[in-house]
Amino acid sequence: MPVDKTQIIEKELAVVDGIELSADWNRMFEQRTLFDYDLQYMDRITDLDGGESLGWCYQCAQCIPVCPVNTVGDYGPRKIFRKAQTGTNLFEHPDLWQCTTCANCLRVCPKEVNMIDIMPAVREEAVMEGYVPDELQEAFENTFEYGNPLGESPRKRAAWIQETGATVPVMKDIGRAVDILWFVECYPAYHPRGKEASAALARVLGTLGVDFGVLGTEEKCTCDSQRLAGEKGLFEEFAEANIKTLGKYSFNTILVTDPHALNALRKEYPAMGGEYDVVHYTTYLAPRMQELKFTRKLDYRVTFHDPCYLGRHNGEYEAPRQMLAAIPGVEVTEMQRCRENSFCCGGGGGGMWLDGFMSDHVKERLSEQRVKEAVETGADVLAVCCPYEVSRFTDAVKSTGNEGKLVVRDIIELVTEAMG
Amino acid sequence: MRMPSSDILVIGGGPAGIQAARGIADLGYKAIVVEKRDRLGGMPDEAGYAALTPDMRDTGEAIAEMVAPILDNPGVELRFGTTATACTGVAGDFNVTLQKADGAAEDICVGSVIICTGFKHFDPGRETQQYGYYQYDDVITLVDCERMLKAKNFVRPSNGEVPERVCFIQCVGSRDRQIGNEYCSKVCCGVASKEAIEIRQQVPGCRVFVFYIDMRMYGYWENEIYWPAQEKYKVNYVKGIATEVVRKGDKLIVKGEDTTLRRPMEVPMDMVILSVGMEPSEGTEAMAKVFGVKQNKYRFIETIGGALDTVSTTVSGIFAAGACTGPADLEDSTSSGGAAAMKAIACVRKANTQIPA
Repeated sequence: MPVDKTQIIEKELAVVDGIELSADWNRMFEQRTLFDYDLQYMDRITDLDGGESLGWCYQCAQCIPVCPVNTVGDYGPRKIFRKAQTGTNLFEHPDLWQCTTCANCLRVCPKEVNMIDIMPAVREEAVMEGYVPDELQEAFENTFEYGNPLGESPRKRAAWIQETGATVPVMKDIGRAVDILWFVECYPAYHPRGKEASAALARVLGTLGVDFGVLGTEEKCTCDSQRLAGEKGLFEEFAEANIKTLGKYSFNTILVTDPHALNALRKEYPAMGGEYDVVHYTTYLAPRMQELKFTRKLDYRVTFHDPCYLGRHNGEYEAPRQMLAAIPGVEVTEMQRCRENSFCCGGGGGGMWLDGFMSDHVKERLSEQRVKEAVETGADVLAVCCPYEVSRFTDAVKSTGNEGKLVVRDIIELVTEAMG
Repeated sequence: MRMPSSDILVIGGGPAGIQAARGIADLGYKAIVVEKRDRLGGMPDEAGYAALTPDMRDTGEAIAEMVAPILDNPGVELRFGTTATACTGVAGDFNVTLQKADGAAEDICVGSVIICTGFKHFDPGRETQQYGYYQYDDVITLVDCERMLKAKNFVRPSNGEVPERVCFIQCVGSRDRQIGNEYCSKVCCGVASKEAIEIRQQVPGCRVFVFYIDMRMYGYWENEIYWPAQEKYKVNYVKGIATEVVRKGDKLIVKGEDTTLRRPMEVPMDMVILSVGMEPSEGTEAMAKVFGVKQNKYRFIETIGGALDTVSTTVSGIFAAGACTGPADLEDSTSSGGAAAMKAIACVRKANTQIPA
């Protein structure tokens, strides 16, 4: 991919073909003067369905201080506008893949420049033309082939139930209507930490006597993050399959573990013909916390990270906090960036599958920034409720040298721990 | 003893003067309108504006609507080809000498005077910057552009070809200590954006850029002109005005800084439109002297009440409205014209009560 040529590059050390160059050789001056305003790429973007609002930016720059990526790199919506206006081909530029679609810019944008629409529209074109970072392409291919971005066997999608010893009815086995259809989603079904949280949730649902079932191996990825990363075709194909499967069963409400699935099922599936009452597990459990019997007091100082797709995208800020407040002994302390202004773990919009790519463009991962912020609060537990976050933050705790100071726990795991 | 007159002299038949005369007649007094040209309408008519800012109404149509109530109105006496050359007396009893173009003079008695002599467009030849208005045919002003848009003939003056790319340079002759015009001319951001929309409507293939320091689209101009220009007509706004214009082949090269990218820019354009600001017209300067009213640092007529009284001058009974008091848009001019009519009538009523019959 082409390098951004807007900067004078002065390297402390330049190594060319294994030879260390010293002194003036390290100074590489790029073209400084703008000799043209080539509008072809701006026109191409604003002509796309969803791309229109990029042209509305009037450079107030309110997006920049709230853009998580800009805290670790040189990126932001108003900069994307200027680059497009000055001839940068975003379709083939690394900037295209930096946005995590966290929606913090849209929250503050007076002109409603909507990166949540712009990015998928432009990425879709790039995907069709083959300008996709390899690791993201791999996640797309895994999803296409196996029904999940991790590349795990679709036959093992329900294997976590046996592995963890959880009691979980599978719809095709029970052959009856249920109150709650639990859409487990990929990371809670396959990722080791996700499985633990899933087992915890299954236990709580069982304890509460919830009439529920899961789709088991019939479930496929909702593909919301793939859609936001530009794979609209994949999203539509999988949405159709899921809607067809869901159509076979009777249930009142879909319960999700993953806020990204919440977003897809609640906001995107209706346009495809799938209208459901969808609820995140925190929203469902918060009012029922007093029904649980806790036998242990957790003397934890906990800080909570609002998932972008639960908070800003779907407006739920209270339920996770209510759950934490109901756990005996837990003391909640907030990070500076929380609720509407919460930071981003870096996993959304395809970021989950772009860590290698991003390492060339940012000084550290967003998850690392966030872990440092969590440590600053004096918390010993970073509580989360999005399956992307457990693995991302756990890695970040290690890479920032905070092992032993901070552990990352799904809220549901804290609940079952207190249940004893 | 001579009876004081309750007639009110309105000098200038532009938007402010028309509105003042109409108000005076509507309230049962007599307005004598003195206009040096042979028709009403003021600068929008004289300069041949295509459409008015911000509502984009056809200028001719809008002016005709403004003028209609004072034509054949017994309360309005129109005197064309006429100027005021001398004034004596006090509020309620002024003696003003009017002179026709042929030199014929006549003294009239009026109770109050409203000066509505407006502005002139800044002459970009008087620039400290090098925009080459008198050097390059394809460097024009907002006013030249209005005429071309009105004629539906927006082409490069140098060769008659349809331009593919044009830019506006804002703040030409305004906000400039070296030139002496430290004020913002208030309307140029809106007028440039309005013209940018018209260019995009008339020549859809032509890309338009606006180089600006700050876009000053106050009030509804923001949503009525600026946002549509950017969002619907894809006009490109770039922060940082150009320093100079040079010719290269048959193109003009606009040199400046793209400030938000912090990079110098040298970009080719087919035409450059200078967003020239406002200065007091010759008529405004002359009338200030005839009526002995104080001019401000920028030679506009000084009003003495700040924000609370926008039409009273340093001489009791002499009022000023519209752009003779400083940069004003159409809305300002008609509003202050009305305000001046009210003040002038109050002045003559007071004088008539105080002077015994």
